[in-house]
Amino acid sequence: MWFRRMVWAILGMILAVGVVPVAQAQADLIAAAKREGKVVVYGSLESDIFDVVAKIFEGKYRVQVEYFRAASNRVLDRVLTEVRAGKPGFDVVLTNKSPMGILKKEGAFGKYTSPSYEDYPAATYDRDGVLSPSYRIVVVSILYNTRLVKAEDAPKTLMELLAPKWKGKIVMPDPTQHTTTAVWLANLEKIMGRDWRPFIEGLAGQVGLVDSFIPAAQKIITGEFPLGITYVKYVHVFGKEGAPLDYVRLNPVLAEAHHVALGAKPVHPNAGKLFIDLFTSRLGLIALSREGEFVLVPGRYPPIKDADKLRIVMMDDLDDQELRRWRDEFGKFFLKR
Amino acid sequence: MALPAAAEARRLSLPRAQVDPIIILALATGVILTFLALYPTAMLFYGSVSDAPLGVRGRLTLVNYITAYADPATYRMIGTSFVFAAGASALSILLATTLAWITIRTDAPGRGLFELVALVPNVLPSLLISTSWALLLSPRIGLLNVVVMRNLGLPPFNVYSLPGMIFVEGLILTPLAFLFVAAALRSMDPSLEESARIAGSPTLQVARRITARLILPALLAAGMLNFVRAIESFDTPAILALPARIEVLTTKIFREALSAYPPNHNLAATYGMSLLAIALFFVYLYRRATAVTEQFSTITGRGYRPQVIALGSWRYPASAVALLILSLIVLLPFLMLLLTSVLPFYEVPSWGTLKLLTLKHYRFLLTSDRVHRAIRTSLTLAVSGATIGMILASVVAYLTVRTKIVGRGALEGLTFIPFAFPGTALAIGLLWGYVRFPLPIYATIWILLIAYLTRFLPYGLRAMTSTMVQVHRELEEASRTCGGGLAVTFRRILLPLLLPGFMAGWAILATIFMREFSTSLFLYTPRSEPIGPLLYHLWIDGQSGRMAALGVGVSLVSVVLVAAARRIVRTPLTREP
Repeated sequence: MWFRRMVWAILGMILAVGVVPVAQAQADLIAAAKREGKVVVYGSLESDIFDVVAKIFEGKYRVQVEYFRAASNRVLDRVLTEVRAGKPGFDVVLTNKSPMGILKKEGAFGKYTSPSYEDYPAATYDRDGVLSPSYRIVVVSILYNTRLVKAEDAPKTLMELLAPKWKGKIVMPDPTQHTTTAVWLANLEKIMGRDWRPFIEGLAGQVGLVDSFIPAAQKIITGEFPLGITYVKYVHVFGKEGAPLDYVRLNPVLAEAHHVALGAKPVHPNAGKLFIDLFTSRLGLIALSREGEFVLVPGRYPPIKDADKLRIVMMDDLDDQELRRWRDEFGKFFLKR
Repeated sequence: MALPAAAEARRLSLPRAQVDPIIILALATGVILTFLALYPTAMLFYGSVSDAPLGVRGRLTLVNYITAYADPATYRMIGTSFVFAAGASALSILLATTLAWITIRTDAPGRGLFELVALVPNVLPSLLISTSWALLLSPRIGLLNVVVMRNLGLPPFNVYSLPGMIFVEGLILTPLAFLFVAAALRSMDPSLEESARIAGSPTLQVARRITARLILPALLAAGMLNFVRAIESFDTPAILALPARIEVLTTKIFREALSAYPPNHNLAATYGMSLLAIALFFVYLYRRATAVTEQFSTITGRGYRPQVIALGSWRYPASAVALLILSLIVLLPFLMLLLTSVLPFYEVPSWGTLKLLTLKHYRFLLTSDRVHRAIRTSLTLAVSGATIGMILASVVAYLTVRTKIVGRGALEGLTFIPFAFPGTALAIGLLWGYVRFPLPIYATIWILLIAYLTRFLPYGLRAMTSTMVQVHRELEEASRTCGGGLAVTFRRILLPLLLPGFMAGWAILATIFMREFSTSLFLYTPRSEPIGPLLYHLWIDGQSGRMAALGVGVSLVSVVLVAAARRIVRTPLTREP
């Protein structure tokens, strides 16, 4: 009996020393965030998808969320400008791995390890404690308009895009200005091997160029281009509204990681931390998943057919020097008239 | 209060200084314009000769100029930019003059409606018009192309080409030229036309040989503005040039600097300086053309109410021509906008399309806090910005046109410097110019107001200058002879005569401010997001239906602003002299 009492006493002490302070710290964080009143987030996640998580956050904590949405290179530009000016207007930034890496190097972010990160594999942690683990990935493939291209006629591999029948019928973002497209093209080398260079040169002669992945998807939906290179998630995002979209199950298919980080000098530091806690929590990730995102929750897939069967290969990120080099390299092919 | 003895003695011993109020006015205006124009311009110039990113201390270098001009592609690109801008400007003047003459000076049926409709595209964001024309003339899904191909078997017109860009930009620029030409036609002296008509000249000959020459200052002003506006335009090239792989100066700046990773603001500044040189050259040409202001005086003390020309049997063909032009600049793009706003996704219309029609995008407008905030922000900027801008423009126009004060050319030149920069490049200069400013301007609505005034003051100035040039000095001199001072002469003589120009300029500024996007995009914060960036973000988020619905809503708000401005103008015009 005395032994059992002692065990309970020890457990109680552990709880008192460990859990109670954690709970107290969380309560303090929530109270401080409420006093700050709002959090300002800059990111490249589509507004409608972001709003789903923002509404959960606002409903739960009564802290307002302001969101600046732009393409990843625009987020990079805006954050860099504000940081260099010494007047950052953001508390939290979320975008693709490569621009997040550049911003981290520029000192745009501060250290923050959210309690939510405990649910992620240790291998995904940022060794400097600045970036979150990769909470979601963006999968890039060939999407096509199902009214204009039958599934059996759609290309099965990237090399099939070079067939004469697709000349002028493919749309993709301009890799000289869209970072993720440049990273995607550069990473194809590791899965295409010797075919890579002829593929890049051939593709440049086949495609129409747009600013980013969303306009590419839009042009496929309207039929201006029957097919194109863009995110697989748009099959669900626009498909649920009736858009005639499907995607090619490439094997393997490349994906880029996304991260979130707290600003180095946030105006609302507590609200920023609280937002990151919820955004990267299971609750936030499942909400994102329902909207079509591929999230890092085991066994959880977006409502896209065959999403669970894809063999996904993660892209390596590029630093600013590499991005500049690739931009110039791709410009030789894609901007030549 | 007693003055100290020494100061009192000094006051009594000195003659009372007779400082001309004009000089004080000129000095104050000069200080404001210098601050507005040169401060961000200097920051951009510094960027073009600095080896560090904007805002970071660096060393002076010419490497950016060497990089830009050692590349043969730069010269091809500048040539393409000139062809694009000149073609678009010429097309806009041709269409605007034809439309304005039919609308203002003839008895063509429906002209009252034509005039109101002609102003609609001026209130539509260019981004929406470019998008509409991309949907109308896309080689595969363009509605017009599909109709032409199916019914006439003709090959499609590819809007993704240099002629396509000139066509769309020309249509976008037409309403601005229309405002200038219409204001001039409305204010001109009819006696010369009457003399020609009495002497037996037919109507078209009078229009060509008399009317056209009388409105030459307005045509030059509109042509010059539209040329510079086209060469700095980014909206149309962003939609049409990129898919066509055509490079103009603004897409080059966007590509190399503002859309690059990492951004290269130095090269942007370098190309921005080139644009400034081009614009200054055209300002110089314009000033030479209008150096002898007296020869353009067409409003005199004898009367200024132009007569309506009776076209007889040509009334209906004239209306048909006006309708055709209006279809191109307003009706077709606006109908495409309407169609897009009621479709879940755009597709070539068919009977099946009717089943898809939805009002959900309009419901979004009614329920979205973000939309409401953006409309409030833009309306505040439009009304306050246009009013402040036109007061400043009136003072500058008065000083440069009506006085011989030293440095008046510099005053006008100062207002044109920001005009030469693309909105995006100027925005960077403004950002860095105001980011370390002692007052809390950065990241507030104030930086947007300052940016709008800086960038668009020339538009207001042109409207005021064109009108002021036409008002003969004899009216002012008569007032002064009768003992009227500067204030009395301005209030009782100049102001009533200048009101049409003032309100035309006000309408131009207010509608531009309602839709501005390329400068705002860099300066706004989520708290002060205007409509332009919101439209752009809806577009890049793939929400073209919401964008179109918001475009329709913004157009209606802007039409109300323009109609209010016209109502004020109408009063003095209809009063008998």
